[in-house]
Amino acid sequence: MPDAVEVEDVTRVFEPRKKKDERVVALDEVSLTIPEGEIHGLLGPNGAGKTTLVKILSTVLLPTSGRARVCGHDVVEETKAVRPLIGIVFGGERGLYWRLTGRQNLEYWGALYRLPPAAVRERTRTLLERVGLADRADQRVEQYSRGMKQRLHLARGLIGDAKVLFLDEPTTGMDPIAGREFRTLIGELKGEGRTILLATHDMVEAETVCDRVTLIDRGKIIATESPRSLGHVISRFQRVDVEGAPEPVLGRIAALEGVSAVTRTEDGGARIEVSEEGATAEVLRRLVDAGVTSVRTSLPSLEEVYVQLIGERGLEV
Amino acid sequence: MSGLRHTLHVLALAARNGFLDYSVTFTWKTWLSGWYLRVLAQVVFFALMGRLLGSTEQVHYLLLGNAVMLAALGSLFAVAGTTWERRAGTLPLLVASPSSPVVVFVGRSTWALVDGFLSSLGALFVVAPLFDLGLPWPRALLIPLLVALVGASAYALGTFLGGLVLRAMSTRNVVANVAWTTILAIGGVNVPVDFYPRPVEWFAHALPLTHGLQAIRDLVGGAPLATLLPNVALELAVGTAWLALALLTFDRLAEGGRRDGSIEFGG
Repeated sequence: MPDAVEVEDVTRVFEPRKKKDERVVALDEVSLTIPEGEIHGLLGPNGAGKTTLVKILSTVLLPTSGRARVCGHDVVEETKAVRPLIGIVFGGERGLYWRLTGRQNLEYWGALYRLPPAAVRERTRTLLERVGLADRADQRVEQYSRGMKQRLHLARGLIGDAKVLFLDEPTTGMDPIAGREFRTLIGELKGEGRTILLATHDMVEAETVCDRVTLIDRGKIIATESPRSLGHVISRFQRVDVEGAPEPVLGRIAALEGVSAVTRTEDGGARIEVSEEGATAEVLRRLVDAGVTSVRTSLPSLEEVYVQLIGERGLEV
Repeated sequence: MSGLRHTLHVLALAARNGFLDYSVTFTWKTWLSGWYLRVLAQVVFFALMGRLLGSTEQVHYLLLGNAVMLAALGSLFAVAGTTWERRAGTLPLLVASPSSPVVVFVGRSTWALVDGFLSSLGALFVVAPLFDLGLPWPRALLIPLLVALVGASAYALGTFLGGLVLRAMSTRNVVANVAWTTILAIGGVNVPVDFYPRPVEWFAHALPLTHGLQAIRDLVGGAPLATLLPNVALELAVGTAWLALALLTFDRLAEGGRRDGSIEFGG
């Protein structure tokens, strides 16, 4: 069985349309494989190439070079085979017909996905219930809140029973509760065996729902790992949390090579940041020698990994 | 669902969508008190120009030409139809859907066809008696059919131009204005087609309205119905040709956006 998404050395260059514009390499020989049923996060700052990759995979943009396949079908040559298999959901308030009701929107897109009218009606009803819009189904979309629009977006993306869903920053602008509900829905979709590519800035979102994440910056993939093991990619960036460490001991540790910072925490403990391979062992030895027994090491969170790998530029998002 | 039934279903849904959008611009009251009064004034203005020229024949020529022109003018609003999808952010979703975008665009602007049809007939049947243009009954019952044919023919041109505009959205109003001004100028609305040099005349024959308007003039002038048929057939042929061109090029033009990256998510 082919992988749900296969990307091989895909490059996309935007040539300048006007003299003042610059040539932009949005994707630079990107390769990525997403097995069926995986929720895959695509993380990166603005302009990293996330949306460009999603657009290529969803057949609305051609790559300059390289190949990409969805469920084994080439996204350039076999669009007729790819399009019924995919659903696209993007963030924000666009992509819906505001004058239509939620139900009419879904029925419209259902027809475009060539479903028979009876199947469209049934699927629309099911999806509206699923995304919690059954009570507002016959209200015009212009009267929906942002969270409701986003849920309708997701329902629209599912109307064709997509095997692969492309979600491009789907929770942009959602309040935390709506975002959490949305992530729950995404988790349910995984249970149905759907493959999801989730382009996002949101670390919590990626960490919560993704099986694996790919960090992308300036059109290049930096790393692809599970959110937890991604920390190992930068294992030198460890941290040691201690309790009851005497101040002189902390002072000596701070002076060690490979220790980037020692900070006091609010509960009276301390956090030692290590930035070089092997330095953690020396820190632990010094702490144990000093009789400190309450010691805990941990890997950085996904957000910390993101900042370390992509740099402060990533915080612009 | 068969291909034809599917296409008709999508057309109907797209048409409903377009009418709902249009209902935000006009209600019946504002359409009658705003748009309809405007088009009445326009036809009256040209009829008065004829009166200024001192010829009843000119009055009737200008009245009939400008009233029928409204059908073409309305239909050419379809040129901008593609812009609405881009504004709604639905263009990439349409391109990535298993259906052809051209079916959606053909359906989406049918309000313009209906608007033009009602404007044209509304102006003709109201203004004609004011300027003693006698409409022969019951032959005049064929006028709505011919006006519909003119509107449909112009709608086909509008859909073709809408495909071109898809690649250069900023030109949508210019393209629509150039199209209807050209038809107005050389299609026999105010000046007979044979007034112009031969190449311009040939070009006019390839435009919507030219033949349909002539058929309506002949009908109102009392010509035998059989003599109308060549012009009716030519109007039908012109409309079919523009529609065929639209169908042939539209998807290709939309696909062109995949190459240059002009199909934006959410924009």
